Amino acid sequence: MNVAYFSPMPPEQSGIADYSALLLPALRERIDVTVVRRGKKTAPRGTDLALYHVGNNPDAHAWIVDALRKRPGVVVLHDFVLHHLVAGMTVGRRDGHGYLDLMEREHGVVGRLLAHGVLDKRIPPLWESRPADFPLPTFVLEHATALIVHSRYVRDHARAAGFAGPIAVVPHPAWHAPDVAPARVGSGTIVGCFGVVNASKRIPELLRATAVVRREHPDLTLLLVGSTSPGFDLERRLQRLGLDDAGLVREGWVDESRLWALMAGSDVLVNLRHPTMGETSGSVVRGLSLGKPVVVSDVGWFSELPGDVALKVPPDDDEVATLTAALELLAGRADVREVMGARAAELAERDHDVEHVADLYVAALETVAGGAAVDDAVLNDVSAAAADVGISAETAEAREIARRLAEVELG
Amino acid sequence: MKIAVCRPQVPFARGGAEIFTDRLVDELRARGHDADLVSVPFKWYPGTRVLTQAFLWRMLDLEEADGQRIDLVVATKFPSYVVRHPEKRVWLVHQFRQAYELDGTELGQFGDSPDDRAIRRKVQALDRVALGEASRLFAISQNVANRVEASTGLTAEVLPHPPQALEYRCENYGDFVLSVNRLDRAKRIDLLIEAAASDGSLEIVIAGDGPDRERLERLARERGLNGRARFTGRIGESELADLYARCLAVYYAPVDEDYGMVPLEAFLSEKPVLTTTDAGGPLEVVSDGSTGLVVTPDVAEIARALGWLREHRDEAATYGRAGKAIATEVTWDRAIGRLLA
Repeated sequence: MNVAYFSPMPPEQSGIADYSALLLPALRERIDVTVVRRGKKTAPRGTDLALYHVGNNPDAHAWIVDALRKRPGVVVLHDFVLHHLVAGMTVGRRDGHGYLDLMEREHGVVGRLLAHGVLDKRIPPLWESRPADFPLPTFVLEHATALIVHSRYVRDHARAAGFAGPIAVVPHPAWHAPDVAPARVGSGTIVGCFGVVNASKRIPELLRATAVVRREHPDLTLLLVGSTSPGFDLERRLQRLGLDDAGLVREGWVDESRLWALMAGSDVLVNLRHPTMGETSGSVVRGLSLGKPVVVSDVGWFSELPGDVALKVPPDDDEVATLTAALELLAGRADVREVMGARAAELAERDHDVEHVADLYVAALETVAGGAAVDDAVLNDVSAAAADVGISAETAEAREIARRLAEVELG
Repeated sequence: MKIAVCRPQVPFARGGAEIFTDRLVDELRARGHDADLVSVPFKWYPGTRVLTQAFLWRMLDLEEADGQRIDLVVATKFPSYVVRHPEKRVWLVHQFRQAYELDGTELGQFGDSPDDRAIRRKVQALDRVALGEASRLFAISQNVANRVEASTGLTAEVLPHPPQALEYRCENYGDFVLSVNRLDRAKRIDLLIEAAASDGSLEIVIAGDGPDRERLERLARERGLNGRARFTGRIGESELADLYARCLAVYYAPVDEDYGMVPLEAFLSEKPVLTTTDAGGPLEVVSDGSTGLVVTPDVAEIARALGWLREHRDEAATYGRAGKAIATEVTWDRAIGRLLA
């Protein structure tokens, strides 16, 4: 089987590009894969199936969705919330009417009116202010013959959005932790937080919780690694919260080897977010490979992490208090960190092993590529046999046959 | 209890599964159950035939027979376990191996086309549903249980069953090595013929019939084994028991066999078994230097091992007796007790 593979690829700075770079060698050991050059909107000749990696970033994924809309195929849905992508492919291309229509189709007249408000600059862009309330997945789902997703959360939301085709839940593959010397940036417990620094990563809440924990554990260091989102001023946030930068170490965007070294040098990894776009976190998966205990928000994919691997913080009124308790526990109990870390490493090896993930991909692709033809052949065979003995369509007997076919996932 | 034992039937073929299920019905009846065999023809090619033929089982209504409730069904090998029943117990002989470990080998069935790949996945999906419905899932060997777990995530209890009832006995450790098998490529009887060709004093008797017989007989002729290799074809129970009783050892080296009754039959005749490191199920009872010899699937290794047994008949007898102690532990009383518990 030959698969046309649409995805951002390195050197693009994208989590999904990193993901594909990790997955492709294992996939190529199992099936033929033709990676489609960025911007090309048709699948190469001779390919049996097209596989489209879709995320919420229009810069990385708009060309892929253009190709999908020309030729339906299997979609790897990395985010469920696609409002930003949709906006990029409509408003970003001066197609305001397209945006209005899509908002109306999924959210009725209210959606259209809100979209007007956005286009007229009367209200802030919904893809920034309220994307989770208006996820707009249909734009992609209506062209997908099957979905590969990383969480039950996205599967359930896709079903709720009306997607009726096959959905395979395939874990995010894990990188093998490279052999790097851990970079320790403090003497006590180091709490590492990796990724873009912004409000939806709950950085203000993390700063407040860390300040409380440091009263008991003054040698605790909070390490923030990643670029800062435009509009998020870390120093100002600290001032507003009445906090100083004691115990705070800040590094901007770092390359892969520095990232691993800093992560390896951390004792605890924190990866919070609210609202969730239905995404998986490459940072958390890296942390699992390193055998680190993690603290996450109790949302989306993060909620599905086992309780002995991750402490989960609901994004509610008690968020800071819960987060504080979690960090106090992990700062004070090396034995707990050790057990959770061991479980994390086991999880990475068992569920996120790239060979295992590639097997699941191939199973999903093989099921879909010839699945419809096989279903048709089975149905033709069975219905011809039924017709031969006088059982015609729409009879009780035909319905019974159909029911039993469905029971065993045939036809 | 009224019990339906389900097995697919390949017309005009008879092998271990047929012997097993016939015997199971007899043993259930001997314990006072009202047991009967339910059999449906099975053809697994071409194309989607494997799925439509499997689906025939789904259309059966085995909840009642002639107005009387059937309390329990025992399904055995693919696709008999696709049958519906509220008390479906699966005593798994094997899945459709072409969809699993044989895929991509010369024994596989499915090619690289999208349709073939999808059929294979449909068989796997069918297994997940049909085996997942079972109220109890047993496997005839650890090897079969391991395969089920790897392919479906389901855990099967290992429940071996005794071999066919023959008049097992040991008369002597004669000069010939016995092979008992259906003659197909997966049984690797050609390795035994080549081993005999490399050791001029080795005599072999090949019992059984099958599609590979002509090729094997030709190979034996080409290697000049006239008089040292005898093909018996299909033989009766009495003749088989007699061959077991008089042979030096039993050769049994299939590729990743489900379980294999032959080692237990050899053991009940107090004969050691020569098998290979990749034989699968037989390795659960054949231990190197204890109940037989285990070598790599290599002609020279096989010839050397059989030569060693010929030169060490006391050890051969010791291994055979150790095997008998294992084989006599596998009884119908125990098996049926667990099956119906």
